[in-house]
Amino acid sequence: MKTGPEHTNTPSGSRRSFFTWLIVAAAGLIGISLAVPLSGYVASPALKRRERRWVDAGPVSDLPVGEPAQRDLIMTVTDGYMEVAAVKGIWALRQATNEVTVYSPICTHLGCGYRWDGGARKFKCPCHGSEFDLNGKVVGGPAPRPLDRLPVRIENGHLLVQYKEFKSGTKQQIEI
Amino acid sequence: MLSRLYAWLDSRLKLEPVKETLLDEPIPGGASWIYVFGSATLFVFFLQAITGMFLAVYYAPTPDHAYDSIRYIETQVLFGPFVRGLHHWGASAMVVAIGLHMLQVFLYGAYKPPRELMWMVGVLLLLLTMGFAFTGYLLPWDQNAYWATQVGINMVGSVPFVGTFLVRVMRGGDTLGALTLSRFFAVHILFLPAAIMALIALHMFILRRVGPAGPWSGGCERRGTQGDASLRQGRRAASAEERPPIERRVHRSEPFYPRQVFMDAVVMLGVFVVVAALALLVPFPLTDKANPSDHNFIPVPEWYFLFYYQFLKYMDGPILGPIATWVIPMLFIALLLALPFLDRHPERTPASRRAVIGIGVVFLAGVFVLIGLSLRDLRAMKRTDPAVAAGRALFERLQCASCHRIHGEGGAIGPDLSYVGDQRDRDWLIKHFRDPQSTSPGSIMPKFPLSEQELNDLTAYMLSLRKGV
Repeated sequence: MKTGPEHTNTPSGSRRSFFTWLIVAAAGLIGISLAVPLSGYVASPALKRRERRWVDAGPVSDLPVGEPAQRDLIMTVTDGYMEVAAVKGIWALRQATNEVTVYSPICTHLGCGYRWDGGARKFKCPCHGSEFDLNGKVVGGPAPRPLDRLPVRIENGHLLVQYKEFKSGTKQQIEI
Repeated sequence: MLSRLYAWLDSRLKLEPVKETLLDEPIPGGASWIYVFGSATLFVFFLQAITGMFLAVYYAPTPDHAYDSIRYIETQVLFGPFVRGLHHWGASAMVVAIGLHMLQVFLYGAYKPPRELMWMVGVLLLLLTMGFAFTGYLLPWDQNAYWATQVGINMVGSVPFVGTFLVRVMRGGDTLGALTLSRFFAVHILFLPAAIMALIALHMFILRRVGPAGPWSGGCERRGTQGDASLRQGRRAASAEERPPIERRVHRSEPFYPRQVFMDAVVMLGVFVVVAALALLVPFPLTDKANPSDHNFIPVPEWYFLFYYQFLKYMDGPILGPIATWVIPMLFIALLLALPFLDRHPERTPASRRAVIGIGVVFLAGVFVLIGLSLRDLRAMKRTDPAVAAGRALFERLQCASCHRIHGEGGAIGPDLSYVGDQRDRDWLIKHFRDPQSTSPGSIMPKFPLSEQELNDLTAYMLSLRKGV
């Protein structure tokens, strides 16, 4: 630190520390006033709950009893500032009691789309040979858990489904 | 704890000499509130850089999505309007800070030798800032952005020989569209920041080589010269003849830290508080989405371009027009760059530089008169009520035009709304929008879930649809 006659205005000792304290306080105030809103701004989408809508999958009476049928769910998915139309082909199984079970169309092993084999009365995945029975139970292949069921509601004779996706390859069902 | 960490780092990185270089820069004449404008400008630049980076997190630079992504920031993102407000008002703060900084340098004759290069780099920094303002204005892709940029680009077209080609380069083709938006975005967030950072570094480097100029009673001394007795003599001297020679006038100095740093910090905090308050309290709403076919829209530039906007109104015609759109701006920039070589007298006190100071005062007075005239004209101009504009945007968003027709555009399923403002009053419209069945039994119009604000906006738009308006 330079001292001497040409630096007579320079504060020293506790006065200098006081200036330092004020400078740090001003910088800290600006920093915090920026850091808090900017953190919230970036994390904002992560803080939002995903909106789950009930999507109409057509009249229940159109579904065959005891035989799985594929139905298209036509949804509008909000993707940030865009609204994108998406079609998901879910599997619906109408019981004799008129209750309907809906399976996610994604194999629980590694995420391929599986098919219904009417002859063998099994769902079969073409990728790695996983097989599931009518109740979604694993009856063959590497799938770690039964088929994922989707929430279902019946209103005015129409089948309403809430579409969800789950992590593949895990023993536990984990929603994503 | 912190001092131990510093000692550990210092023993390895030899920080002490760096600290001395950064903090012990001598300020001739001592710390002063008049020297804060450069730091304030630098602070606002950093504020713009930070808020700009964060805006880019959500922004999409395509005509399909630019407007929607800004609307998303405004309506869906936590603190989104605040961050966008900081960037918007920060741009104005930057212009004010640069203006005051240049004014101080001009008044103190701090552009004189040996600081000519620092001044010239400063002028280039001003031009880059104008470039930021121009390219950033288009990005929200609303009506104002689109039409103001259209006017700005068209002015370049008046440059002889190369004008038309330059316009095509700026637009990226024949029309203002997708290619214009992406190149303006690239220039705004990549090219200009790279250039401005290099020039800021150069500006600071020159400052540290030649040192600050100090009070105007001093000469154009280089740093490191000694002696102050002759300076005091200079201050007391009644006439120029009695003053000691300039090369002997050197001030007492004081290190940059802590008093000047403290003053800079206080001003930075003050600037931040003002910009944050404006961002919180004065909303900066988007106008409608850019509509290239709507030639009735009258764009208004930002306040810092108003003086030039007004000036252009008086300079109409085949000769005066191009003079105003490119000859005068070019001459002005050349004059600014050449100022240190035109004003050669080494004396820096305003009293002994009457001609130069006089020109500066006339120029500033002209700018303020033009701003005043422009504001008066704008106030007299019939402006769209913001509620009407918001209502019109809502009308489009809800796709009301698929059933209702206004001046020949839209479907014919519902009633024609061209003059609905003459037929219905406010209460009826609000009741109708809340529940169409309550006012028009049997109507097939759906019940839209509108907020109170949206109800008011839509009603304001309906009431504006009258004959003779």
